[in-house]
Amino acid sequence: MSATTQTSDVANKSALFHPATEIPAYYRMLGIEETSQVSSELQDEKKSEEGVEEEPEIDYENPFRYMFYRDRKEWADLEPVPQDDGPNPVVKIAYSDKFTDVYDYFRALLKNDEKSDRAFTLTAEAIELNAANYTVWHYRRVLLQALEKDLREEMRYITAIIEDQPKNYQVWHHRRMVVEWLNDPSEELEFIAEILSQDAKNYHAWQHRQWVLKEYKLWDSELEYVEQLLEEDVRNNSAWNQRHYVISHMTDYSDPAILNREVQILQDRGLSSHPGLLEQILELKETHCSPYLLGFLVDIYEDSLENTSGDQEEVLTKALELCELLAQEKDTIRREYWHYVGRSLQTKYCSSDPSTTSSAPETDRGSASVSVHQETTCNS
Amino acid sequence: MSPGFTIVSHTTNSNKKRLCAPPESNLGRCGFRGSSHIGVPYSTSKGPGVSHPYDSGHVAMTYTGLACLVLLGDDLSRVNKEACLMGLKALQLEDGSFYAVPEGSENDMRFVYCAACICYMLDDWSGMDIKKAIDYIRGSMSYDNGIGQGAGLESHGGSTFCAVAALSLMGKLEEIFSQRELNRIRRWCIMRQQNGFQGRPNKPVDTCYSFWVGATLELLDVFQYTNFEKNRNYILSTQDRLVGGFAKWPDSHPDPLHAYFGICGLSLIGEANLRRVHPALNVSQRAFEYLQHLHRTWRGTCT
Repeated sequence: MSATTQTSDVANKSALFHPATEIPAYYRMLGIEETSQVSSELQDEKKSEEGVEEEPEIDYENPFRYMFYRDRKEWADLEPVPQDDGPNPVVKIAYSDKFTDVYDYFRALLKNDEKSDRAFTLTAEAIELNAANYTVWHYRRVLLQALEKDLREEMRYITAIIEDQPKNYQVWHHRRMVVEWLNDPSEELEFIAEILSQDAKNYHAWQHRQWVLKEYKLWDSELEYVEQLLEEDVRNNSAWNQRHYVISHMTDYSDPAILNREVQILQDRGLSSHPGLLEQILELKETHCSPYLLGFLVDIYEDSLENTSGDQEEVLTKALELCELLAQEKDTIRREYWHYVGRSLQTKYCSSDPSTTSSAPETDRGSASVSVHQETTCNS
Repeated sequence: MSPGFTIVSHTTNSNKKRLCAPPESNLGRCGFRGSSHIGVPYSTSKGPGVSHPYDSGHVAMTYTGLACLVLLGDDLSRVNKEACLMGLKALQLEDGSFYAVPEGSENDMRFVYCAACICYMLDDWSGMDIKKAIDYIRGSMSYDNGIGQGAGLESHGGSTFCAVAALSLMGKLEEIFSQRELNRIRRWCIMRQQNGFQGRPNKPVDTCYSFWVGATLELLDVFQYTNFEKNRNYILSTQDRLVGGFAKWPDSHPDPLHAYFGICGLSLIGEANLRRVHPALNVSQRAFEYLQHLHRTWRGTCT
C-alpha cells in the first residue's frame, strides 16, 4: 500500500480516533490507535511478541495492529537516528524491523535529551526488546525523576519484569534505585522470597536481599527464613552462606554461646563439636566418611602441626595416612592433589632435623620446592 | 563492541596535559563503547568526538576492546590511553570496587577484574587505587575460603577467578594472601571438580567453569593436580554435534561464551592444536607475549 493511501486512511479514520487520554497506557504503548475490540487486539499483540513480523499496511479487517513509530503522526516531529556501524561492520546483528524502528526513535530522544511522557512510554518498549540495555534503563530513571512519575507504579512494573527475567543485572539494579528513592523496603523480602521460590540459588536475588537487610536493618526474621530454606534443601549453599551473613551481622561469632549453638546444630546433623572436635570427627569418620570430612581432619591435623611445638610425628603420620586414603579410595578424582598435599606436609613438617626449615612447597610458578633432610616418616 | 571506538576528551590539544579533568571535558566518561547503539557517527579518530549527553564507555568493553586490539596485533597507538585511564578512575568506588559506567550501575568483582586488565594492558596502574581494590578483594573472601562478588556474598567460581586473576596481574597474589589462605583457596577451587567444574558447591557443573576455576587453579599452581581426563570428557560432551560450539551442559544449545570458555578449558589441559591461553589475562599466550613486546617498546627497553 502506498504512503499516500496510508496517510489518507489515517485522516479518514480521524473521526473514529479517541483522545489519547481515554486509551489505557498499555494500549497506547503498543501503538493501538483505537479503543474498540480491545480483547482481539490483545491476542494479536501476543502473536507479534512471539516474533511474527508485523505488517505496516493498514488492515481494514483488523485495525488494531502495531504501528511503527515512523508511521505515527505524533512522532513526526522527531527525526529517527540510525545506528552507524561504519563501512565494515563485524558480527552484525540482524535486528527486526520493529527493533530498528523503536531504537531509531530511542536514539533520537536520547540525542535531544527529551524529557516527555512519550519518551517514558517508549523506554518500556525499548526495554521489552532488550532488557539488558543499560542506557535505556538509565534514561528511564532520568525520566522517572524529571516527570515525577509514580514510583509505586514503577515498583509494580519492575516486579513484573524481574519475574520474567530474574537473571538480568539491569532490572535488579533498577529495582534497588527505586527502593532507595522511595526509601521503602517493605515489599522486598517477600518479593525476593518469591523469586527464590522459583530458583533458590539465584545470585542476583541473594545479592539484592543482602543489600536490603543491611541497608534497612531488617534482620529479625532472616534466620527463620534461612532455616526454612535449609529444611527444604540442606545442601543449598546460598542458604548456608546467608546463615553466616545473618549471624555475623547480628552477633559476634566470638560469643561462645553463639558458637556453641551453631556447633550444636551441626552436631545434631552429625557433623562436629567444638571442644573435643577431633574426637567427634574421628567418631563420625566411621559412619559418614566423606571427602569433606576427611579434608577437614587433614586441616585440623595441619593446624595442630602449625601451632604445637615438639614432636609431632604421630600427627604428621595420621595426616599423611588420610591424604593417602583420600587419594586411593575416598576422593580419587583429586588423587594428584591429595598426593601434593601429603608431599607439602611432609616437606614442611618433617622434624628429624630441627634446624631445617622450608618455605611453602611448590607454590611459586615454575620453581621447585626446597627439600629437607628426611628420616623416618619423612623417608617415603 | 565497536572496533576502535574510543570516546575522547573535548579539550583541545593545548589543554592535553592536565592533573585533573577540566569542567567541560568528558575524560571521566571515556573508554570503549559496547557498540554503536547510541547513534553517534562512526569515527576512529583519537581526537575529540561528537558531544552526546548519554555517551560514555563501559569498563567491560574497554577491557575487551583493548584485548581484541592486542589479539589483532594492533600497537594501541590510536588509543587515547590517558582518556581510558581517567575514565576508569572515575568508576572506582570508596570500597575499592568499580561501576561499569559513569552513570552508575551495579558494582562487583567482575569490574575489578576488567579494571585490572585495562591497567595491565596499558601498563599503567594510575587508573585505579590499587590498595582499595585489594581491600575489596580481601573483604570478599568467604568463610568457606572461596571468593564472592562482594563482602558477605556466596563464594563463586567466577568471582574467585576475577579476584585471583586481578591480584596476579597486579603482581600481588603471594603478597596479599598468606600461604595458608592460598592453600584454602586452592582447596575451595579444587573441590569444584565433579567431572567438569561447578561454580558453587552443590550446583551442577558447567563448561565455562572449566576456565573460571581451571584458570584460577593454574594461577595457584595446582591445576596440574586436577583430573584432566574427566574435565576433558565433560567439556567435549557439551559440544553440539550438529552446529558445533559448546554449551553449558550436554544436549543444550551452544553459545559463543561457552564455546570460547570450552576451548579455553581444553587449552588449559594442553589440548593438541589449540594455542595456550594466558590464565590471568584471558588472551592467547601468543597475544600476551606480543603485549609484553609492546610494553618494552613503550618503556624504551626494546632494541
